[in-house]
Amino acid sequence: MKFIKARRSGVLLAGLIVLAAGLAILQTGQARATQDCRFCHDEPLYRFDFNHSIHASNGCTSCHVGITNIENHRDGKEKPAPVNCGSCHQEIGKEYQNNFHYIQEDFRCSDCHLNIHAIRKVENKNVKIAIIEKCTECHGNPDYTASGHGEAVLKGNQDAADCSDCHSLHSTRVFHISLEQYPAEAREFYTQKCKHCHADSAMMKRNNLSDRMVAYYEGTYHGKVQELGYPAPVAGCGDCHTKHNILPKKDSRSSIHPDNLKANCGRCHTGFHPRFLSYQAHPDYTDRAKYPALYFTFLLMGGLLVGTLAFFWLHTVLWWRKVYWEHHRMEIEGIVLPSVVATGEGLQQVERFSVKYRIMHVLLVLSFFTLVLTGFPLKYAGTEWAETLTRLWGGAHVAGLLHRSAAFLLIVGMAYVTLESLRFLFPRGEGKRGWFGRLIGPDSLFPNLKDLQDIKGMVRWYFNKGEAPKFDRWTYWEKFDFLAVFWGMFAIGGSGILLWKPEWSSYLVPGWVLNIAALVHSEEALLAALFIFTIHFFNTHFIPNKFPMDRLIFTGTYRVEELKEQRPLEYERLVAEGRLESMKREHPSIPIKLISATFGLGSLLLGLFLTVLILWSILFG
Amino acid sequence: MTRKERKHDTKRRTGWIMSAAVFVLLAALWACGKTQEAPPPWKVIDAPTLKAMMAAGKNISVINTMSEIECLDHRIPGTQCVACEEIERSPSVLPADKDQVIVLYCESAGCYRSCRAAGAAIQYGYRKVHVLNGGMPAWKQAGYSMESIERIPRGSIPAVRALTLQQMLVERDDILLVDVRSEKSYKEGHIEGTVNIPLYRLSRRYAEMPLDRTVVLIDDRGFRTFLAGSYLETKGYRVMRLFKGMQGWAEIQGKNG
Repeated sequence: MKFIKARRSGVLLAGLIVLAAGLAILQTGQARATQDCRFCHDEPLYRFDFNHSIHASNGCTSCHVGITNIENHRDGKEKPAPVNCGSCHQEIGKEYQNNFHYIQEDFRCSDCHLNIHAIRKVENKNVKIAIIEKCTECHGNPDYTASGHGEAVLKGNQDAADCSDCHSLHSTRVFHISLEQYPAEAREFYTQKCKHCHADSAMMKRNNLSDRMVAYYEGTYHGKVQELGYPAPVAGCGDCHTKHNILPKKDSRSSIHPDNLKANCGRCHTGFHPRFLSYQAHPDYTDRAKYPALYFTFLLMGGLLVGTLAFFWLHTVLWWRKVYWEHHRMEIEGIVLPSVVATGEGLQQVERFSVKYRIMHVLLVLSFFTLVLTGFPLKYAGTEWAETLTRLWGGAHVAGLLHRSAAFLLIVGMAYVTLESLRFLFPRGEGKRGWFGRLIGPDSLFPNLKDLQDIKGMVRWYFNKGEAPKFDRWTYWEKFDFLAVFWGMFAIGGSGILLWKPEWSSYLVPGWVLNIAALVHSEEALLAALFIFTIHFFNTHFIPNKFPMDRLIFTGTYRVEELKEQRPLEYERLVAEGRLESMKREHPSIPIKLISATFGLGSLLLGLFLTVLILWSILFG
Repeated sequence: MTRKERKHDTKRRTGWIMSAAVFVLLAALWACGKTQEAPPPWKVIDAPTLKAMMAAGKNISVINTMSEIECLDHRIPGTQCVACEEIERSPSVLPADKDQVIVLYCESAGCYRSCRAAGAAIQYGYRKVHVLNGGMPAWKQAGYSMESIERIPRGSIPAVRALTLQQMLVERDDILLVDVRSEKSYKEGHIEGTVNIPLYRLSRRYAEMPLDRTVVLIDDRGFRTFLAGSYLETKGYRVMRLFKGMQGWAEIQGKNG
């Protein structure tokens, strides 16, 4: 053992000696080579300045390689290979391989690092100013040197951006404007550069600037599309603040000075009314003093969202509790609902939804999912799933087109429903006579006094304080579902139409209303999605006696016994008025049932999946 | 025609319309799949392939189609300098053997100049014409070295924007506008008062320019005047260049108009 150890140490020692000897020979070799070089290259630059330069510890042949015979070199027959600084400065060398100056103009290190043989380290050098001076030797850019950043650097601010902070130093990318090949890539690249500093809290605080501007921008349409990775059609930072002439709003030379806004926005938006310019590019919803309208809209929408969801979630949970416990009791006592074991006449199918309304519901489902699947990636632009989904659509542009197409379908559907409602209230021949009776009657979807009593009855039933109320044709939650679409269409549809063509909208409303429209559109969409995917789904499909789905809306018919059980008042009315006979239908066929189950369950699963994504984004996004 | 028959007829017509629509859609899809550009008559090769071909020592002519000054400043090692315009003018600058492998390359990823030269070579009857895909940028980005025969020291050549130049032309009388684009491009349109000294002839014709004027170089897009300017600076000229070249000039003409 000892022997092995001793042998190992011996090998190590020998290795070290060889290494040291090798280095010494190399050093001597280099020194000798340097001596040889200076025999001819005897200018003071090489004899004196180089010895005091930062590279003094290198010999001539460290950089000038490839001379095999000094006599041949002396006679001009052998030239050294081009100097490759990257053999020592490897990282920079690698970066520089893609540098525009190298690719396009074949710049070499010494073209910027002039007088490389005498280069020395300067203590406490202002690197930022040195960079600006170097770049402006060729890129004399008065726009930059007179701008906020350039001026600040020249005044000694070490936070302000010099050329390299945006363009990089050794890996300068080219997005040359004359090439016009990469507007989207360039926008993305530079916007990230701006965000890098302007979201840095410590740096912004030092400079008396807000670090929230980036977040506020990211909350707008511009910022969200940008964040999704499709920056082509929207404004990045430089589109409004320009590239080099970046000055505060107060400065009349600034692109964002009120006098210059029209031209500034006009570079992308055309045909707008001057009041379009009051649109806020980075609004803070929580700033009551600066943006009161936005602040109160934010509160209102937040309140509506929380209030509606809180009420209905509680309602659903209590309902589910009651039904589940009730089922449990019936299971123990061996009670089976008559609708389940119906025989004879009880098995007869009766129509609840005609083909027309079933088709309309399918169209509504399709348009709703399209809207959610194309709209929510924008709402949660920062998340992975949003990017994946948008990629699946084929980009933000395609998603936008589909969103508008689905919106159009929904608007047409809504217009038709409005027409149907009017026809219901004012049937041909009847005119206005008795419209109020029809409005609050049992066949109407408009709430009436009985709905209030039903809510009370349901709550009492939840707490075992009474029997479940007897419903007529429409329950209060169904009426809410129906009317919520009207409200939703007013809020989402109205704001969506304003945002559809914002330039035209400016002839109706000022630009700041578009900020409100965006907020309302987004918050109301969240409410609608969560309402449908949780409350509507639970009330109609997931409640224990319907679970996993109620196919009624797709097949259109159910058993007489079910009608009797779920809507006893309607049943009694139908029997009394002798209308039941006309509502009897064939049992739905196997294909209809299969299609209904596939479409229905597919929709339910998709909705639940989207709910998980949305909640995930809210909680952890 | 009874109502039932009419209904049947309408159904049949709808069927026909639907089938026609589907057919048109399919035809459009098929056409989309087919409408790729016709492949060029020359062979496109990438940088590693060229590197391998040159290393194999095959008898090939690799030609840099940029101007002489640009080519001598930096080129792929072991290649020749023959400007695109020279190739277009006469086949005598190319090898005599029409079966010789010729590889053409230029400075931009678009390979506009090498493609023009390749087109000419094929017209002359050369059968093995190649173009380096991505040109010198691709070669450099692949990490391969370059060689310099007569390297031009890089100068500080200020770029003036079109609007500034317009102003300068009004205020100063020592400006000499020199258009370095090809004779053909110059003939198609140029800034009034410019003289045309194409870049590929600059090394032979620069002495025609008076030394006491400030030379403003103009090219297509502003990419090629920097090196030309640096070259002229070594010859004692005061040089500026037009930012974005003729493209920049055209933009302000559009705005003024």
